[in-house]
Amino acid sequence: MHAVLIEPFTVPFMRRALAELLLLALLGGVVSVFVLVRRLGFVADTTTHTVFPGVVIGHLSAGAAGVLPGALVAAAVTAVLLTLLTRSGLVTDDTALAVLLAGMFGLGVVLVSRRPSFTSDLTAFLFGRLLAVTTAQLWQTAAVAAVVLGVLGLLRKELWLRAFDPVTSAAMGYRAWLLDLLLNVSVALVVVAAAQSVGTILVIALLVVPAAAGRLLSSRPLVITLTGVAAAALAGYGGLAVSYRASVTYGIPLASGATVVLVLIGLYVLALLWSSLSSRLEGVRGGA
Amino acid sequence: MLDVAFHRALIEAALVGTAAGLLGVQVVLRRLAFFTMAMTHATFPGVVVAAVAGVSLYIGGAATALIAALAVAGLSRRHDTGTATAVALAAGFAAGVALLSAQQGFAKDLTAYLVGSVLTVTRQDLAVAAGVTAVVAAVLAAGGRVLTFTAFDRDGARAAGLPVAAVDAAVLLLVAAVVVTAVPAAGTILTVALVVSPAGTARLWTDRIGPMTAVAVAVAVGGATGGLLLSRAWDVAAGGAVSLTVAACFGVSLLAAPPLRSWACRLQPQGACSVSRTATPSANPPSS
Repeated sequence: MHAVLIEPFTVPFMRRALAELLLLALLGGVVSVFVLVRRLGFVADTTTHTVFPGVVIGHLSAGAAGVLPGALVAAAVTAVLLTLLTRSGLVTDDTALAVLLAGMFGLGVVLVSRRPSFTSDLTAFLFGRLLAVTTAQLWQTAAVAAVVLGVLGLLRKELWLRAFDPVTSAAMGYRAWLLDLLLNVSVALVVVAAAQSVGTILVIALLVVPAAAGRLLSSRPLVITLTGVAAAALAGYGGLAVSYRASVTYGIPLASGATVVLVLIGLYVLALLWSSLSSRLEGVRGGA
Repeated sequence: MLDVAFHRALIEAALVGTAAGLLGVQVVLRRLAFFTMAMTHATFPGVVVAAVAGVSLYIGGAATALIAALAVAGLSRRHDTGTATAVALAAGFAAGVALLSAQQGFAKDLTAYLVGSVLTVTRQDLAVAAGVTAVVAAVLAAGGRVLTFTAFDRDGARAAGLPVAAVDAAVLLLVAAVVVTAVPAAGTILTVALVVSPAGTARLWTDRIGPMTAVAVAVAVGGATGGLLLSRAWDVAAGGAVSLTVAACFGVSLLAAPPLRSWACRLQPQGACSVSRTATPSANPPSS
């Protein structure tokens, strides 16, 4: 037990990876609740792809220091284009998202394909380098988490009203587009913060699955949030431990980010089983 | 300058473009863009397992695509369709990456999967693409009226005795078939680009299904072959170049189509035409 659960984290790089994942679990667990109630799953997935050209341009022009600003600019461009496209009423939002996703990702691929280190660059972006997380990146993530959680915490009532009663929200004078933009920017910030370390593949899972699992167990926002954060944190810890054990003991180089997602999906499936079991039991009791 | 591999790539692009353009109109009208995206990612683990086991990549891809489609349908009972789709997408992609990471040559294979390797298509690939394109064309020709009816007026279609659920399932199966065919050659993102962007472009120019389908096929085939030629001329990744070409068609149409259409409208006698906005059915969950 000790060898599986404790020993991997005696190594410094594993401890940094765990710290990053726990920070992202807190961030993702909270933001995913808003993604769930506003149905932003496809928006989150699109953002994970559209920051790619920004990362590439940033990297080409200013090296590693350019990655974060590049990603931020691309995320902002996405949010603006998306708002313009959907408000024009000419296309449905899912078509707009898919075109934006494919077009911007295509731009990134075209730019990066001219570089000799094409495949390894693309892989690093998509899967991150979780085990190479630096202390500076940890602080970056912590700063993003503080900003996003602070804003969402302050505006949670307004965002909630916008989600469940848009008419009242508008009547009370809240600007819908501003609240929407704010939430889209929050999602984009999570993507940007996480893309460098855990890669885009983990981000989409982190932005959707925690709250979806929580929702299976409860309909109370606080319980959903806490369950989601706990599930994401547990998955981060368990996934790292499993991938470490697999590569050190068994010589199978399991990608750590993907393993974390699989553990998270496993927890989601447990929640699914639990909820269908308890509703069936209730049905039996109700029928008796 | 044109060698055998490039000739084959052009034929594959034209075939996949035809299938994607034909089916894309249904995808756009039925709001299945995110489902298509999820399918491209869900074929991933199947493709990896098939490659390791030495069986046809199409069989492996089709198997996991089917599982993912069933998962989306099942989970849609517990969540909104977007969340259900996102969970299936994250699970499929993570499973694929974890499986692939346990193999050698991780980065290179993954890049091929994401951006395609259209220059390595074989005669069998061409035969499969031709077969699937023929099936899609046949189904659309035989059932076009039923497809349109069920997409726009579900209650009316039910009252008229049409098997709405079966028609929905058939459309989803066609989407899965096109994705499975296109992904090995075109990659995941390019597949989404070829299915959604040309149909989205066509939607901007006309409200009628027939002309819309014709424009979509023309844009998809033209974009796919043109993008390939551009990628060769400028030495950039083929998948990215095609994505960008069809996205550019969409962008130009977005700016040009509305003014041109209202100008054409004014030339008609009073009341003879109207330019409508987003004439699409309401959200259409694959589960129903």
